[in-house]
Amino acid sequence: MSGVSPPGPWRRVSWVVLVVVLGVALGVGASRGGQPPTATQRADAIDALVRCPSCEGISVADSSASTAVAIRHTVAARVRAGQSDSQIDAFLVSRYGPGILLRPPVHGATAWVWVVPPAAAAVAVAGLTMALWRRRSRAPVAVSAEDRALVRRAQAARAEAGTGAEVVRTP
Amino acid sequence: MNAALGHTGVLLSLAASVVGVAVIGYGLARNRPETARAGRIYGGLVLVGAVVATVAMERALLTHDFSLAFVAANNSRSTPLLYTITGMWSALAGSILLWGLILAGYIVAMVWRFRHQATDPLVAWATLVTLVVAAFFFGLMAGPADPFRTVAGAVPANGLGPNVLLQDNALVAFHPPILYLGFVGFTIPFAFAIASLVTGRIGEGWQLATRRWTLFAWAFLTVGIVLGSWWSYQVLGWGGFWAWDPVENASFLPWLCATAYLHSVLVQERRGLLRVWNLSLVIATFSLTILGTFLTRSGVIESVHAFSDSDIGPLLLGFFAVVMATGVGLIAWRGDRLRSAGGIDSVLSREGAFLVNNLLFVAFAFVVLLGTVFPLLYEAFEGQQVTVGAPYFNAMTLPIGLALLFLMSIGPALPWRKTTTATMRDRLTVPAWIGALVIVACVVGGVRGLGPLAVFGLGGFAAAANARQLVLSARGAHRSGAGVWRGLVGRANGGMVVHLGVVVIAVALASATSFGHRGEVTLQPGRVATSDGHRIEFVGLTHISTPARSATEAMVLVDGHGPLRPAVSQFGANTEAVGTPAIDSSLEDDVYLTVDALPVHRGGPVTIGVTVQPLVTWLWGGGLLLVLGAVLAAVPGKRRRRPTDPVSAPVPGRHSGDGSRGSDDASGPITRAERSGPMPTLVVGEPGDDEHAPEPVPAGSP
Amino acid sequence: MTVTAGEQPPARPGTRRRHTTRWVAGVTLVAGAALVALLATRPQQTATEVDTPLVGQVAPGITGPTLAGGSFDLAAWRGRWVVVNFFASWCPPCQQEQPELVAFAYAHRSPGDAALVGVVFDDAASTAHGFMQSTGASWPAVIDSGGQIALDYGVRGPPETFIVSPGGIVVAHFDGPMTNAALDYWLARAERGGL
Repeated sequence: MSGVSPPGPWRRVSWVVLVVVLGVALGVGASRGGQPPTATQRADAIDALVRCPSCEGISVADSSASTAVAIRHTVAARVRAGQSDSQIDAFLVSRYGPGILLRPPVHGATAWVWVVPPAAAAVAVAGLTMALWRRRSRAPVAVSAEDRALVRRAQAARAEAGTGAEVVRTP
Repeated sequence: MNAALGHTGVLLSLAASVVGVAVIGYGLARNRPETARAGRIYGGLVLVGAVVATVAMERALLTHDFSLAFVAANNSRSTPLLYTITGMWSALAGSILLWGLILAGYIVAMVWRFRHQATDPLVAWATLVTLVVAAFFFGLMAGPADPFRTVAGAVPANGLGPNVLLQDNALVAFHPPILYLGFVGFTIPFAFAIASLVTGRIGEGWQLATRRWTLFAWAFLTVGIVLGSWWSYQVLGWGGFWAWDPVENASFLPWLCATAYLHSVLVQERRGLLRVWNLSLVIATFSLTILGTFLTRSGVIESVHAFSDSDIGPLLLGFFAVVMATGVGLIAWRGDRLRSAGGIDSVLSREGAFLVNNLLFVAFAFVVLLGTVFPLLYEAFEGQQVTVGAPYFNAMTLPIGLALLFLMSIGPALPWRKTTTATMRDRLTVPAWIGALVIVACVVGGVRGLGPLAVFGLGGFAAAANARQLVLSARGAHRSGAGVWRGLVGRANGGMVVHLGVVVIAVALASATSFGHRGEVTLQPGRVATSDGHRIEFVGLTHISTPARSATEAMVLVDGHGPLRPAVSQFGANTEAVGTPAIDSSLEDDVYLTVDALPVHRGGPVTIGVTVQPLVTWLWGGGLLLVLGAVLAAVPGKRRRRPTDPVSAPVPGRHSGDGSRGSDDASGPITRAERSGPMPTLVVGEPGDDEHAPEPVPAGSP
Repeated sequence: MTVTAGEQPPARPGTRRRHTTRWVAGVTLVAGAALVALLATRPQQTATEVDTPLVGQVAPGITGPTLAGGSFDLAAWRGRWVVVNFFASWCPPCQQEQPELVAFAYAHRSPGDAALVGVVFDDAASTAHGFMQSTGASWPAVIDSGGQIALDYGVRGPPETFIVSPGGIVVAHFDGPMTNAALDYWLARAERGGL
């Protein structure tokens, strides 16, 4: 945008309009409608969170290995039989162990893996804020005559550097 | 004969690196620059040895010399020529040989590039460090990971052939070497970082001198990762391209640190700030390549890449420990010397944005590392297994990714030192509106889901903001008579193109993962079914039988075109049946077919897995943009001549004799006469960016 | 005042000198050392006894046609120790352990002694049959259509071996190639009640 106009009421209104439009769009977009998931959708959702036992870290939904196909069929059969998600997960865990689920449980000792990153992020943000606060609240340094002389000497030395002389380095 | 030749090559390289370290070390200790310079020849000898060993290995493979255990395990008489050649890096010992060869090449390139400063202790230290790394890798080959070990007992008549997964796609010829060009390339900036820490000469432009090396290695690592993802998509039979596999993560971690470094070093060049960050990032990048190699090869974490049954795990881990301890220890030792004069005045500035950028990338790397290592931690303490899979990584990295997209939008528009909201408003109103309209258009078009919508909106914002920079730059170059193309090359403009590539990839990732769907159709020959809006017609089964591969293929027509041939294949003498997919790609979406179940009786129905994922081709297009941007960024831009330039930039035109290319940054080693420390700069915050005409600044802002 | 590089500027009055760099470096070193220690003490993936939830539970049923053409039912073998071995012809550790299993089967060939039964994992019947015949294996091998038996036993990949007590309880689960000696050892421990 070339040219600059002083921030007038039109500009502010346009930003408010932008925020409102964004909010409405995201609000509509975030909702998925009120229908309950079909059996296929339920099975797909469960499949996406179960690890394929003979593959490397991919889900049963993504794999065409024989073990994955077997689990998909079992999950589909159990969903049709009316079992809940946690019942189906519990069955698979009873055979393969807890490592069969792709998402580490939020409770128990695995909670650490969920908690540590946000905690570290909070620490980092706090540290950054503190560092900037400290910098801002530090009184501006008064420039002394000695400082000015130092700078003058350094500038002169730099001009001399074109002739190949050693440069005095300042911290 | 091949074994003897190979052993000779390896031992030559090992001896050359060890002696080179000793000679250069002696020269440095006794303060004899001439001796230190004589150490350069050893770099050349290392390369000679590596080439000899590589020639020996390829010769052994091509002649099917099964007296070598490596050839017997990874090659067979029926292996096609391409996979015979690539067999060198299809397994552990050979891939270490490839690493050694590439490292030797880099050492020679570095020695040649800095040949006029060879007597400078800093260059000597850097050469010494690279030779130490070379000594380690060739030492591995001389002992535990010997590629030229002969078979115990009788020579077998035929070999086993490469791993079946490595015989299906020609990308095996490209992915590992390109990836290694990336990994190994970070050794050079690391060596210079260590050298400048050891010599204490941190205020000079050495990190900037090696910035192009880092860009080169980064570009290759990026291409390697994208190729690896494309390869797994084409070969592995699941419609995915990134599974947060431990080995994928291992290659991603150095990439994250290298990307952060490439950004953060701009602040150092401009204002002399963030020096500790930059040194740390370079050391972290190299350390993570070693850690990644350890994770890949030690069998500690199972993975599609796992070359298990090796003894080199502890050695690699030990080397990682040494590298990290050295790097971190040096930074701690020189810590106070690294303090720069001046600081970041305000977060709302280019420096502030780069600092936040560093933090975000480090957070990203931390999350990926934690998720990768956590199963080991958990098993150590609780004794049980747990899987940390894609749902965890996706959930944790989505907010970081969104924050990075946002930063990518506002960063290029932020001036240095400080700015006002009025300036930002003026520059970013149009891009912000574009982002909002993208969201509205998606919602109107039926797209649902907060995560993908946020990615699309921020992607639109970022794309518009970066495109704006490019347009301004091109216009400015055109006006100043340099030609429009001038406004599209150079560091900053190449960076804008790279950002556009990142946006395209982010949008593609969000669509493919959120709106991809896997279905299954069971069809008799000649029947048709519809899956996710695509017409799938099963024509019939065919059988292929060649010495290299025997397969049962299902001929399938998708939306009337094809035929596509997903199959169940067996390679060579190996009876393991592997599913090989077939893909119908278009700009809109990819239809990914796999054979899930073959008919039990002749003429029976076949079950075909159909995965439809939107915008997958955009991923590869985005990857191309990344590479294009990196190439553009490597083109030298206009030199800085203004008296208000930061002091760390050399006066252009003085270095044309010593091999440094004209460049837009402070590249080229700065000779003693020119060297000046980080003086308090007299630069006032300049509105606008480096390489193009200053942007109009709203009246009334400082 | 000329200051050469390396000297620190004098601390301004009123502020403490913060060694942030040293602190962060120290923390990083400690974390790195912990990571290295952790990684150094992890075992590699070799044949080990695995502790899955199935151990101690009733053994899931195994029924189905065998490669030789008959049919098999695990319930009919109650009353004797049964070693269930999931295998495939294409898997190198299975090829490695096969001679050991043949030796084990021969050593326990008397009626009522510990019996061996194989379950085919993701392999064509013809190739599995050929594998069994060429290695001289004579024990029944059940065809697992649809992978249901493997799922019931929580098998991730061959070779995996289970020891089932005469009462029908799974007492041990092994992942990786077994040896004759190892089977005898674990069988003896199980019989003593030590598992």
